Order: sequence, then structure tokens, then C-alpha cells
Amino acid sequence: MKSPIVSRIALGLYFIIFFGYLMGPLLVMSVSAFNSPSFPSASPWECFTFEWFSVLWHDRHIREGIYYSVIIGLGTVILSVSMGLAASIVLTQISARLRSVYYTMIIAPILIPGVVIGISTLVFWDRVGRFLGAGEGSLLDGLFHNGLFLTILGQSSFIASYAMLVFVARLQRFDPGLTEAALDLGASHTQAFRKILLPFLRPAIASASVLAFLASFENYNTTTFTIVDYKTLTTVLAQKVRLGINPSISALAFAIITLTILVALASEAYRRAAQRKEAVWQGKVARPAARLWPAWLRGNPAAILFVLLSFTIIVAFGVAQRYSPAQCKIAAREAKQAEIQRSIEELRARRQEEAPQAPAPTTDTAPAGSGAFGNVFAPGNLPGAPAPEPAPEPAPAPDAPANGAFGNVFAPGNLTTGGDN
Amino acid sequence: MKRKLIFADFFRNNGALMGSILIGLVAFWLIVLVILPQISMLDYSFRFNLPPAEQGGPKDVYTLSNYQHLIYGSDETHQSFNTIDLMVFLRTIVAAIMVTIFDIILCYPLAYFLGQARGMGMARLLVVLLIIPYWVNEILRAFALRIIFGDGGLINEALMLLHLTSEPIDFIRHDIALYAGLGYAYILLMLFPMYNVIESLDRNQIEAARDLGASWTRIHRRIVIPHAKPGIASGSTMVFMLSAGALATPQILGGPSSLWFTQLVYQWFNNSLNWQQGAAYAIVLLVATITIVMTIMKIFRVNMGDIGK
Repeated sequence: MKSPIVSRIALGLYFIIFFGYLMGPLLVMSVSAFNSPSFPSASPWECFTFEWFSVLWHDRHIREGIYYSVIIGLGTVILSVSMGLAASIVLTQISARLRSVYYTMIIAPILIPGVVIGISTLVFWDRVGRFLGAGEGSLLDGLFHNGLFLTILGQSSFIASYAMLVFVARLQRFDPGLTEAALDLGASHTQAFRKILLPFLRPAIASASVLAFLASFENYNTTTFTIVDYKTLTTVLAQKVRLGINPSISALAFAIITLTILVALASEAYRRAAQRKEAVWQGKVARPAARLWPAWLRGNPAAILFVLLSFTIIVAFGVAQRYSPAQCKIAAREAKQAEIQRSIEELRARRQEEAPQAPAPTTDTAPAGSGAFGNVFAPGNLPGAPAPEPAPEPAPAPDAPANGAFGNVFAPGNLTTGGDN
Repeated sequence: MKRKLIFADFFRNNGALMGSILIGLVAFWLIVLVILPQISMLDYSFRFNLPPAEQGGPKDVYTLSNYQHLIYGSDETHQSFNTIDLMVFLRTIVAAIMVTIFDIILCYPLAYFLGQARGMGMARLLVVLLIIPYWVNEILRAFALRIIFGDGGLINEALMLLHLTSEPIDFIRHDIALYAGLGYAYILLMLFPMYNVIESLDRNQIEAARDLGASWTRIHRRIVIPHAKPGIASGSTMVFMLSAGALATPQILGGPSSLWFTQLVYQWFNNSLNWQQGAAYAIVLLVATITIVMTIMKIFRVNMGDIGK
């Protein structure tokens, strides 16, 4: 606080560092989703392309992973929200002496490392199966070694704690007198619960469900142990990232980021619109006259941004159907090939007799259907030190209109390089 | 006797049907999903890894050998201590503590700024901005850092462009990428509890202290930090537990020669198929992390009830 200017600058610098750290990686990843090299990178910019989105769309493993993730997510929401709700109601009624012990017990699952939860679930149900004498291949044995069953139980055991926290926050504002009044008027306990407490808790149930679903969808540490022979989106992703990667994962991340921004804008816009409506209703603001713009757009920057962003996405979709970076790719490949040719010649000059053992041209063997992945096998990539792993599971060829470019794998330029060696 | 009374009260308040549903759900959760699995894992960790035919037979007795393996190594190696695994364990704990401290330092100013600038449109926008990386998958976030820290990544390119280095630095081998990734993965779990607590601080307290001539550091040391203590404790606990128990980030960003302790557990389970050994390592991880959290909470006099606020 020596001088306001210095502290201002320091604050600004700190903000830049913090948000750079937080947003920078996401930005770079998003950029790499549109760059054509088959190893995700943003900096040597080659060609603007949409092909990674079509690779992503045709990836069978990711689709299956999303399917099972959604199933597990729904199961986890049902189980964990009801357990969290019950636990929070019990917490409001428990005697003060037991309260802290009980609270420690229901909050503890958050603190247990996910790995430990996964292992203990796996071990326990294996043991239960053996205790019940479920033989190999019997129905119970199948259930207790079923990845979906185990994953839902394992995830619910700690996601219920998150749900419980949401409910506790809401229940603090509940007036127990309402339930008592209902009971006095002759309602049964079940009726009182259904007609009084449940409607009061509805917003909390909604937000707890969203939270539980997202937590389940994102979970990796527990799932990787309990999933056995199924796969979820996260386990597929982890496998892809650890083994071979191509920018289709960046494309997925970009899609998630865009979706998040859209949802955030939509909820902000909705909040503003509701506020405005309230203000109009109370007579604080004059009712807007009908004009060119619909009423909900005016004075609502979030709504305007939302509309603009949706519009951009639609336009991008349209462009992606027609756009083909063929020309640019040929140019980039030629430049790369010229460089490789030069280095090969240098090597040749040095080694004289020993012909450089350049890798055999895989172009001929590459399946014609592997479309976008043909680039992985392009000779240009092979001499480079970190040869990308053959991309996992070549996807079926992307949509016809966008990929006139891929035939270039067989362009004469590629074949001559191979023939030279 | 006392216990019975509490239960009777509970059923009188909720009715027989609702009461049993509530109790049943909570009991199912705590006993079947949490306590029994932990106990059976503990039990597993004291057993030998036997083929299915010998399970339950005369050889199926309790043993400490799985824990001995962590400390002394297997018999074949003839070392006095299992230095490799112990070093991995130590490194995991120390690095998780460092990551936590790093996140506290990085988040505190922003949490203070956001908490005190309440109601400003700018602050709202910042909070919305902060939520975006939060919903992106942990694996994808680690992947993003891998793009940046790679050999031909942005940071190496920038360093070479500025002639600060002539060769690309291998951030992944030196684990810089791993530490940055762990700090990155859980930073918001530090920020939001801190922000929530600081937001509830009465501005007048700070004004009063300033009017009375307190210096800027003194205001923070005597007013803001004591008030924010539960939030800091809550955030630190989450960040420490999650980074010590992280699996995806070390798998993606960890160097080829250095492991994280959870990776050892993973290997015992999935590569060696020795569940007993894996369970023992998992128990060690659980006990160690919980002990550290409890100790630190005791030192700073924070209650368990502050967690999760």
C-alpha cells in the first residue's frame, strides 16, 4: 500500500497470472482442436481444420463411454440424492450430543481418497459374493462383479455426502412448525413429508441431482477400479491420453467448454430476465414497449451473448460441411517433405554407404477406409522423434463432403518419398 | 438405554414408515457402502495372496507381510529397506503438502478481492469465468497441460524464442508438469471455500482497523486471516486429500521414472493382480492422509464441522 499505482499494477499482474494459469491451458487446447497436425499442438500452426470433430464423432469407444457414463450417472443420482436427503433430515433431528459424531461420519466419505473407495467397494462385494456362496457364473456372482453395479455403489458412497451438504444448507431455512401444523391437522407422516417438506426441498433436489450427475460423470479414481470390464467416458479418455493421442480429444474438450459457457450464459440470462420481470411486476420499471427486439433480450447482456454464441456455432457447423483444408495441407506437407528430404540427404552424405534405414512406407498398407488417420501414417511423421502411436481404433471415414483432402495420403508426393528409400 | 430413547423420539417425530425409510437409507449408506467395505479392505490387507483353491484353507491366516513389503521390500531384493516404495510415499505426501501451500498463496488474494468486491458486476463475471474450468474433466485438464509442457509445447517454444534456453526443457521428466497439473486441478476447491468465508466478513472491521492506523499486513494477520481460517482449512483439506489421492493427473503428467503412491496401488491391483498388497498400500495412504489432516486441524484449532462449508 505504498502508492496506489504500484499496488494497482501488482494486482493487475496477479490477475493476469491467475487467470492465465486457469484459462491458458484450456485456450491452448481449444486452439489445438482446429490445427491439422496429428499430434495435438497449437504452436506450429499448419492448417485450420474441422476434421478432428468428425474423428471424435465417429469414435466408437468414446460413444460407448458416454453411454455408460450416462447410465451410471443416472443410477448414482437416484441413489446418492435419496441417501443424502435422508442423512440431512436425520441430521436436523439428532440430539446435540450425537450430532458431531454423526456429522463426522457422513462427511468422512468426501475425505476418503477415491482410490481407496474404489478398492474397498471391489473387495467388499467380491467377499459378499463368496460369503453368499454365489458360484462362478450365477446371477448374484454376475451382479457383484458387474462394473455398472459396483461403480454406482462406489460413487454414491461419497457423492451422497455432496448431496447431503446441499440439503443441509436448504433445511436450515425450513420451519419445522409447518410439518407440525400439518400433523396436527391430521395428515399422516408420509403425507406431511410429501406435501410439505418435499416441495420445499425441490430446488435443493434439483441442484443436488445436477451436482451428483456431474460428479459421477467426471469421476475417474473410483471408477477405474470398480468399472471392471465396462468403460466410461473418463476411463476411455484416460486410456487415450496415456497411449496414443490425436487432437480429437482437444475437440471433445472444446465441445465441453462451449457447452459449459452456453449453460452458464443461459442460466445467467434466465436469472436476469426473472429479475426484470419481478421489477416490472412490482412497478419499479416501466413495462417495455414492444419493439424490434424481444423484451427478454434488452438490458440482458448474457442473453445477447447466448444468442450470438449459438448463432456462431450454427454458422461454424455450416462452414464445416463445406470447408476443406486440402490446399493448405498439401502445401504444408510439401514443405515438410522438402525438409525431410534435405535431412535425409544430409544423413546419406554422412553415412555414404549405409543407406538410411528409413521406415518402410506404410502408406500402401494403410486401410483405405481410415480417412483422417491416414495422416498418422504419412511418411512425414515417421522420422520425427516422438512418433505418434498409431491412433487407437481408426474411426470409420468421416463424412464424405468434408474429406476430399484425405485422398492425398496417396498423392504422388508421398509415394516418391517412400520409393526413394 | 439412552440410545433407545433417541430412537423412540425419532420414530415418534417421523412416523413408523418414514422413520424406517430414513434410518434404512442412512444405515445402508454408512454401513453397507462405507464402513463394511473399509473393514473388508482392512481384513484383506492382512492376508496372503492365495490362489482361489487355497482360500479358506489352512494357509489362509492373518499376516503382516503386506505391510512389511512396503517397509522392507520382498525377500529376494536383500535390501534393508524398500527404498523405492518408501521414497514414492514420502514424495507423494510432501508434494501434496507443497501443492496445498502453493494453492493457498495463489488463491488468497483473489478470494479476498472477490469477497470484498461484493455485488460488483465484474466480480460476478469473474466467478462465472472461474466455473468454466471447473466443469472440464480432470483428465482433459491434465491433457491441456501436457500440450503446453510438451517438448514442442508452447512454453518450450516461448523459451526458445526468447533465447532463454537452446534445448527444449523436459518438464514432464522433471515433474514440473505434474506439480503444475495438481495445483491446477484442485485450485478452485481452495478458492471457493475461502471466498465464501471472506464474503461474510464485515467490511467495517477492516475500515475500523485502518482508521486506527493498522498497517495493511496487520489487518490481514489480525482480522482477515483469523476470520477466513475455517475456509482456508476446508480448502486445504480438500486440496491435500485430493492431490495425495490423485490418480489421473500423475498417470498423464508424471515423468516416466517417478511414480505417485496411488499409481503403486493401481499397479498392485491391475498389473500384479495382488489385491491384498494393493489393499495394504491403500490403507497406508488412507491412514497417513487422515492423520496429517487431523494433526493440522488440531494445530490450527479447526473443527470437523467447518469442512464442506
